[in-house]
Amino acid sequence: MNVSGERTFDAPRDAVWKVLNDPASMAKTMPGVESFDVHDDRRWTANVKIPLGLGGLKMKVDMEKVEERAPEHAALSIKGKGVGAMMSMQTSFDLSDADGAGTLMKWAADVKIAGPVGSMGQRVIQPIVNQQVSHVLAALEREVQNAAAG
Amino acid sequence: MTSSTTITPEQVAEAQETWKGQNVPRKEDRRLVQGQGVFVDDVKRHGMGYLHFVRSPYAHAHITSIDVSAAEAHPSVYGTLTGEEVAALTDPFFQLASVPGANVKDYALAVGKVRYVGEPVVAVVAETREAARDASELVEVEFEPLDAITDARHAQDDGVPTIHEDAGGNLMWHGTYEWGDLDAAFAEADKIVKIDELHFHRFNSTPLECDGALVEYNRGMGQWTITTNNQFPGFAIIMMGPAMKVGLDKLRFVTQDIGGGFGNKITSHPQLVACCLLARKLNRPVQWTEWRTDFHLSMSHGNERWFHETEVAVKNDGTLLGFRTKALDDAGAYLRYEPLGGVIWAQVTPGMYKWKHIRVDFTQVATNKAPVSPNRGYSRMQHLWFTERMIDIVAHELDLDPVEIRKRNYVRVEDMPYTTPNGCVYDSGDYARMLDLALGLIDYQNVAKRRSEAATRGKLLGVGIGSTLDSGTNNFAQSQLINPELQFSGNNEVATVKLDIFGEIVVTLGTTPQGQGHETTAAQVVADILKCSVDDVFVRAGHDSYWNSHAGFSGTYASQFAVTGLSAVKGATEMLRDEIFKLAGAVFGGVPAEALELADGGIRIKESPEAFLPFMACGAIINANNAGLPEDLGVTLNCRYVYRPPFEVPDVEKKYGNLTLTYATQIHAAVIEIDPETGYYEIVDYAAVDDCGKRINPQIVEGQVMGATAQALGAATHEQFVYDEDGNLLTPNFYDYHVPHALDMPPLNTGAIESPSPFTPLGTKGMGEGGGAGIHAVCSAVQDALRNHGGALVYDSCNPYHRVWEMLNDPSQGARVEVTG
Repeated sequence: MNVSGERTFDAPRDAVWKVLNDPASMAKTMPGVESFDVHDDRRWTANVKIPLGLGGLKMKVDMEKVEERAPEHAALSIKGKGVGAMMSMQTSFDLSDADGAGTLMKWAADVKIAGPVGSMGQRVIQPIVNQQVSHVLAALEREVQNAAAG
Repeated sequence: MTSSTTITPEQVAEAQETWKGQNVPRKEDRRLVQGQGVFVDDVKRHGMGYLHFVRSPYAHAHITSIDVSAAEAHPSVYGTLTGEEVAALTDPFFQLASVPGANVKDYALAVGKVRYVGEPVVAVVAETREAARDASELVEVEFEPLDAITDARHAQDDGVPTIHEDAGGNLMWHGTYEWGDLDAAFAEADKIVKIDELHFHRFNSTPLECDGALVEYNRGMGQWTITTNNQFPGFAIIMMGPAMKVGLDKLRFVTQDIGGGFGNKITSHPQLVACCLLARKLNRPVQWTEWRTDFHLSMSHGNERWFHETEVAVKNDGTLLGFRTKALDDAGAYLRYEPLGGVIWAQVTPGMYKWKHIRVDFTQVATNKAPVSPNRGYSRMQHLWFTERMIDIVAHELDLDPVEIRKRNYVRVEDMPYTTPNGCVYDSGDYARMLDLALGLIDYQNVAKRRSEAATRGKLLGVGIGSTLDSGTNNFAQSQLINPELQFSGNNEVATVKLDIFGEIVVTLGTTPQGQGHETTAAQVVADILKCSVDDVFVRAGHDSYWNSHAGFSGTYASQFAVTGLSAVKGATEMLRDEIFKLAGAVFGGVPAEALELADGGIRIKESPEAFLPFMACGAIINANNAGLPEDLGVTLNCRYVYRPPFEVPDVEKKYGNLTLTYATQIHAAVIEIDPETGYYEIVDYAAVDDCGKRINPQIVEGQVMGATAQALGAATHEQFVYDEDGNLLTPNFYDYHVPHALDMPPLNTGAIESPSPFTPLGTKGMGEGGGAGIHAVCSAVQDALRNHGGALVYDSCNPYHRVWEMLNDPSQGARVEVTG
C-alpha cells in the first residue's frame, strides 16, 4: 500500500533535517519503541510493539538509509519481522523551503505487510497505518520544535 | 431444513430382481460411522517425524537468504529441506503446456523466488507436530518483496511484474477455438447481444480432510511407500518419477479412506516430493498433514475466469445461432494441472443448446495467487455458467421467457446422440423433461401469485434456472489440443476379481474413492453377475499402486467411476464367471457351459441342481487341490480386466473430436426472496434434477446431488478467495470463508430421470460434479428478482448480500449489455 503526504514545519530546514537523520530523535517519533540500537550512521535496529489487537504486535525492525542528499532528500529501507507479520517499507522524504517561512516535507512510503496480519487486508490495516503515520508526524513536530528551540 | 423428494419416472422393472438399481446400504459406512476408517493421519510409524512447511508471507519476492541453523539446532528437530537442495536433487516438474507455459520451472519448494502467499519455502521435520511448527519459526528467510499481480485482466499490461521470467511474461497459454461459420451466423441474426464482461469467481471445494501423506523410504530397495490421500495417483506418479529421476515402480501409492477430494487433491505432488526427499535424507518416515489455513492458502483453487466482449447472435423468436467470446483464465502462480482447463471446457462447448457457430479465444495467465487445479466441475462449470448467463441475459434483453428460450434451443431427446459443433457426442438425455420436473418441484406455476404475496411482505421474489452437463470419462487426447506434443490419449481403469481358496470373492479397484461408495457399487455389479449376495463380495478398501489394478489413468476424478471403474469390474467379473463355468464343466466331467448356471453362491447343472459346486469348492480346487485337472484348463480364478473406452485422437488442427464419453445432466431451479433494504436473500424453494443414466445405487447418486448442490449454494452466496492488491489472501480459513452448514441449506427437492448411455457397458454415466447448475440457478434468481427493481444483470458467479444490495442501489453495477440489429 502506498501512503504519502506533506507537512510544513515551523522550523528551518537544517533543524528538520537534523531530526530526521538522528536515530535517537527518530526513535522518539516511532510508536511503541522498546529499545533502539544504532549500528552505524546508516543502519539502526528497533524493537517495537505496535498496538494492534490483544497485547500488540512485537516486531524487530531494521532500518537502513539508502539515499541521502543533505539537506533535501533521504530514502530509507525498513524491514520488520515479528510473529504473525512481516513488514517491508520503502520510504523517502524531500525537504524544501516552504512558501513564507518554515520547511515543507513531502514524504511517501510503500508499505507491504505480509503474514497472517497481512491477510486481515487493507481495509483493516490501512486505518491502522494512517493512525500510526499521524502519531509519527505529531511526534516529529514535537521533536522539530525541540530541536529548533534547543 | 432439508427434505427430499425423489421422482423416478422410469422405474426399471428388473431393478427389483437385481442388486443394481437398489439402495444397498453402503459397505463403507459401518467402519466410518464407528470411527474405524483409516485416513492418512491415522497411519503412524515408529520413529516418524512430522513435517511443517515454512511458507511465503509474500505474494511475490526474491528469496535473498535462508538460514535453517537455528531450526536445526532445536532439540526436537530431525532436519530441514530447502529449495536449493530440491533444485539440486530434482528436475522441475514436467509441464503439460506448450510454450510459453512449457518454460515454467516448478519445484517441490520455492527456488530463488516465491510467487504466492503460502508457497512452501522450507520444510522442517521434528519429533512432534507442534515442535515442527515451533521450529519453523526459527527458520530465517530474507525476502526482497516484488510488486504482485493479482488481477488476471492486467497480467499482460506493460510494466507489470513478470512471475516466471523463464516464460518471458505472464501469458501461460493461448488458443483459438472456432467452429461453424460465425460471419454467416451474425449476418443472419436479427439481434446481436453484446456483453462487456462476466466473471466466474475463485473458490474451491473444502474437503473435511486436508491433504496429507506418510512417506517411508526403503533404502535397500530405493523405493518409497507413500501413504497419501492424493486422489489421482496415476497423475502424481508420472509427475514425480521424472522429477525425482526414479522409475515409476519406486513410488508406491497407498490409501484407504479419504475425507473428500473434489479434484483439489490431484495436485499434491510437489508436497509429496518434499516428503520423499526428507524421508530419504533423514532415513525415517515423514508425516505431513496440512493445516486448514495452509490448504486455503496454497492448495488447488478453482479456475477464476473472465469472459470479455461476448456477442450472441439470436433470432427474434429466441433461436440462438452462435456466440463469440474472449475467455481469460487465471491459473495462479504455477501450472500444476493447467493449462488443461484451457480445453476441458470444450467438452461442453454449446452447453445444452443447439448453437452451431462458436468462437472462443482462450487465454490463460499466471498471477501471484495460489495455483489452480481441478475443482468439482473443473473448467466445464465456468463455461456452462457462462452459457446459462448468456441465455438469461438474452432473454432479459429481448423480453423472452427464460423457460421458453431454453426449451426452444435445447438439444432434444430425438437429437440424441447429438454431435456438437466441435465433434463431442452427447450420448443421451431429455433436457426439456428435466426442466419441467424441476419447475414442478418448485411450484413454478404459482410463481406470479407467490411474487405478489412476497411483495406484500416487502420481499422481492425471483426464480432462477441453472444447468450443467457433467461430462465424464475423459479422452485424454484432448491434452493434445493444448500441446500437440503430448503423448496422452484415451483412458483406462483396471479391476481384478478373484475367487480365493475359501471361496471369497475379492475385488480390487484402481480407483481412489473419497466417499463415493465404490466398495458398495462394485459389489452390486459383481453380485449381479455371479448371482450371489453383495455381502459375499469383498471389495478391498482404498488403493495401492502395487496391486495389479493400477493403470496409467487410475484414480477417482472427472466423473468416471460408474463408467471406467464399474466397467472394469464388470469385465473382470465376467472373465471370472466364464472361468468358473469352465472349471465346473471340467469337474463335472465335461458338462458344456450352456448346461450350467450360477445360483446361491455356486454353480450347478441346470437339469440336476443337486450337482452343485459352491464357490468355496471352486476356489479350493484351483488354489490348493488341483492335481489331476486338465493341463490346458487355463483357469486361474484371478481375473484382471482393463476397461478402455472407445476413443479416437481428435483432429488437433480443427480442435474437433469426441472429448468425453458420457454426459450426465443436471437442471436446478431456485426461488429466492430478497430483502431490498439489505440485499439479504433466502432460498425458499430449491430443486435439483439429475440424469446420470442407469443408477447403480440411487441413494449414493442422490447423496452426490445434494453434496454438489451444497457446493453450488456455498459458491453462489459466500465462498470466495479474495486477494488484496498485495496478494494477501483475505479468506484463508473458515472464519472468513463460509461454507454452508446443514442449517444453511434450503428445503431441497431432488428428482431424477434415467437416460441410459448407449456407449457404456452398464448404461451408466459418471456423475457427482453437477454443482455448477446451482451456482447459475442463484444468479438467475437474483436477476429475476431485480427485473422490476432496476433491472441489473448479474455479472458475477458469486452474489453475496452486499453485491445484491449494490446492484439494487446502482443497477449499473451489473453486467454492461448492448443490443444491436
